[in-house]
Amino acid sequence: MTPTSRTLARGPVWPLFVAVAFAAVALTALVLIENQKLLGAALAITAAVCFCAARFGGVAATEVAASENPWLLRGLLTLASLAVIFVLRDDNFGLLMLATVLIYATICLGLTVQMGYAGLTNFAAAAFAGTGGYTAAMLGQQGGLPDALVLVCGGLVAVFIGSLLILPVLRTRGHYGALTTMAFGVMFNVFLDANDFFGGPQGLKLPGINLFGWDFTNDIHIFGLVLSSYVNYVILTGILTALAMIFVGLLDRSWVGVWFDVVRLDETAASVFGLKIAYWKVLAFTLGNFLAGLMGAVYAKMTGFIAPANFTFGDSLVMVSIVILGGIGNRWGVLPAALIVVLLPEKLQFIQEYRLIFYAVLVIAILTMRPDGLVARRVRKLHTEASA
Amino acid sequence: MGMIGQHLLNGLMQGTIYGLVAMGFTIFFGVMNVIKFSHGDVLTLGAFGGLVAVWAANALGLSVPLQFIVALCVAMALTAVVGAGISHFLIMPLRNAPPLNMLLMTMMVGTAIREAIRLFFPNGTNPQRFPELLPAGGFNIGPSFFRTDAIILIIAGAASIGAVYWIINHSKFGLAMRAVAEDTETARVMGINFGRIIPLTFALGSITAGFAGMIYALYYSEINYSMGLLLAVIGFTAAIVGGLGNIWGAIIGGYLFAGLQTFVVAAMPSMSDYKNVFAFVLIIVLITWRPTGLLAERGSERV
Amino acid sequence: MTSLSNDVLLESRGLTVRFGGLFALNELNIDVRNGEVLGLIGPNGSGKTTFLNVISGVYSASAGKISLGGIDITREKAHNISSYGLSRTFQRSRLCLSLSVFDNIALGAQRTLNNGLWHNVVQRKAFAAEARKIAEEARELLGVFNTALPDKLFDPAISLGMIDRRRVEICRALIGKPKLVLLDEPSAGMTHDETDQVVDEILGIRKSLGGLTIIIVEHEMGLIERVTDRCVVLNYGKKICEGKFRDVAADPVVREAYLGQA
Ligand SMILES: Nc1ncnc2c1ncn2[C@@H]1O[C@H](COP(=O)(O)OP(=O)(O)OP(=O)(O)O)[C@@H](O)[C@H]1O
Ligand SMILES: [Mg+2]
Repeated sequence: MTPTSRTLARGPVWPLFVAVAFAAVALTALVLIENQKLLGAALAITAAVCFCAARFGGVAATEVAASENPWLLRGLLTLASLAVIFVLRDDNFGLLMLATVLIYATICLGLTVQMGYAGLTNFAAAAFAGTGGYTAAMLGQQGGLPDALVLVCGGLVAVFIGSLLILPVLRTRGHYGALTTMAFGVMFNVFLDANDFFGGPQGLKLPGINLFGWDFTNDIHIFGLVLSSYVNYVILTGILTALAMIFVGLLDRSWVGVWFDVVRLDETAASVFGLKIAYWKVLAFTLGNFLAGLMGAVYAKMTGFIAPANFTFGDSLVMVSIVILGGIGNRWGVLPAALIVVLLPEKLQFIQEYRLIFYAVLVIAILTMRPDGLVARRVRKLHTEASA
Repeated sequence: MGMIGQHLLNGLMQGTIYGLVAMGFTIFFGVMNVIKFSHGDVLTLGAFGGLVAVWAANALGLSVPLQFIVALCVAMALTAVVGAGISHFLIMPLRNAPPLNMLLMTMMVGTAIREAIRLFFPNGTNPQRFPELLPAGGFNIGPSFFRTDAIILIIAGAASIGAVYWIINHSKFGLAMRAVAEDTETARVMGINFGRIIPLTFALGSITAGFAGMIYALYYSEINYSMGLLLAVIGFTAAIVGGLGNIWGAIIGGYLFAGLQTFVVAAMPSMSDYKNVFAFVLIIVLITWRPTGLLAERGSERV
Repeated sequence: MTSLSNDVLLESRGLTVRFGGLFALNELNIDVRNGEVLGLIGPNGSGKTTFLNVISGVYSASAGKISLGGIDITREKAHNISSYGLSRTFQRSRLCLSLSVFDNIALGAQRTLNNGLWHNVVQRKAFAAEARKIAEEARELLGVFNTALPDKLFDPAISLGMIDRRRVEICRALIGKPKLVLLDEPSAGMTHDETDQVVDEILGIRKSLGGLTIIIVEHEMGLIERVTDRCVVLNYGKKICEGKFRDVAADPVVREAYLGQA
């Protein structure tokens, strides 16, 4: 293509600026505002703006601008994240919530690869995250291993435990497949509850992260500012989320992504054209479980305490709900969905007691009225790659 | 040795409950190809409805046998209405959606019911004592002691399994139901009222849950808001292991699961906390061996 | 022509496929010669699709033997068989409708592409070069159809009409440069004019891709007459006749098989 025709095809960039700025402001406001009435107003405004943006092409324009300017998008998101962190620098509770949202979102990126791409049902995401968390706790008790390795081990052990399930996962489909992971998810809890070695129902304590000599319990002093120690966790989870986001995005825009889709959509056609179904399913299962285990380990280290009750079948359901709510297979969808599911019940005091019922009704409403989720997955177009 | 009779009775009791629950799953699946995961929580709802009915009947001064009958009727009517309502308002609109959406939807319906009981039933977070309505006592055969109420409940459970089996296979309604299950379009063309058969089928399946809930309540004398969840997972497991849509498979699956649990408890009392772990591991092994259920015929997908 | 054994690309001996008590294929001996277009015809349910399914590895044979280019593939899995140079289309269209035309066609070239994670995620330049190559080849193949299809390369497959979907399926089957292509009722669901068009297109592809061997299943006898070198007629899973279309069409046994079914 000639440069002129390329510039002609481009959409305006400003929607991207507006969208990122709006997201940052809305996020900060939702975290900061305590007054319930104000919060309700902020939520209503956010929802109204999102609705209008979707209705009048703002979302589409943003998508175009984002896909045409990937580096601008990444830069803007980094700047916006830093701005949000700066504003929230001494709000420990808010920072903790943000990090939790990011952890959920990243686990759900793994689920997106499994369920959205390769079509593997996984009702045990929380159990795999728990595997990572317990690995971190057990390794922490032994001591000696640097924390970077401990976190990676969390992911690897989750992959290993997952590999024990690989045979039933490969051999079963549909409802029968859902049973396998569901049984595992329920079993995981029952086992930990009964087992004293892993602390039983009381769970285990574990120390915070110390990454390459930097202790995450320290406040950050920079340019004469003091940032709460939780900023450490927000930055770490933010980086991990960004990396996972980029990785999953590149995966989607590659042959691997195409083959995952084909395996999900039509196993017969896939195998007739030479795809080994088992290999691709194992790959997707492994990648997803690694992310779950890794983030589970970060979560455990961040909260300093884990118990079976943190990783129940209900939590796995919440994670699947996030994926469906965001729009299954759309990796950007998990961010707003995780935000809604994790943040709202924490912030809205009257919901807290009713959070599970709130999730349930929310998911039922989404499934009946908007089955493709908040942001439906778009058709993959590899034309940028194929015509550079 | 005295424990053997006890274990046997316990296992039969649980197997009956699981079989009833699994039968519901398999009925729903047979007719609509859906997994209605809220089934377990409908069971809980039935048991709580029965409890309220007992309280009311007691306040009205009814005799114990009458209390029992009122409770049973209320539990079954409540579950029938709720089951039909769920099918009509939530499942039917989604029947062309991907199976995962449907599964998640019914799981969330179950969560909503469960949480509603916990939050809105007086003191719902704590277990509730369920009054004893059946004759107490029992008798010995050799060294084993048999509770009379347990014997009654097992017989009643088995009879209800038989009754549902008869309805499906020999009644006119069952015939219509099976016609819809076989081929919805043809059934519709042949004048079967699709819009009525589906809710009625869900009502029938849910009544079995209400019945199972009453059996549970009467046997254990205690009910709690979350008892349906594990029962749903186990019932679903039993239905799957037997092969979805296959009534016999569901019943066998239910007794099989109870048998596995009982075996662990009886053979390794120190491991009884792990009985569900063992049972699930074995189930996962079974499903790996026969990925479409124990009784399923093997067929290849048409291409 | 040289000796027969050199000349045979696909050979089935005593090939039997059973579904329960039903013999979908019954002791079938079929030879497909290098470079020929073989028509496979027969009444509904006679086992034509089953034959394609069993040689492409979708079904497994209950008895008998299949060899492709001298290699025994009877027990091979579907995903391995494609690497011996076999590809196909399906009776009921099997495109992934939510994917783009490009993604669907790329599947046909899957064997020639680098599937490594590192290559796909990190070496994006090399990946893009591969994608460009496939896009070029796909455009060229779609160009044979003499339509606007090459411009729709990145449209979702669901936006195409029936006949274009068939064309995309044929491209998907051809882009991997197979030795043997199986076409299962390429004219299914098309009007008479469209069928004629498909005939011309198949002949065109044949010409541009030289030595390609094709097995084609069809109910449209005009099409069979124009494109095939030779025909095999199946009935109840058995071969009842074999030869040039004219001779086969005149055979009383074949006539009876078709009439008896009607
Ligand atoms: N997966 C399967 N399971 C059971 N029976 C099958 C299966 N596939 C095919 N059959 C049966 O095998 C026989 C041959 O079917 P096949 O599809 O090969 O016929 P066909 O010649 O392609 O017919 P048509 O012209 O209608 O496409 C039929 O009786 C069919 O019902
Ligand atoms: Mg056919």
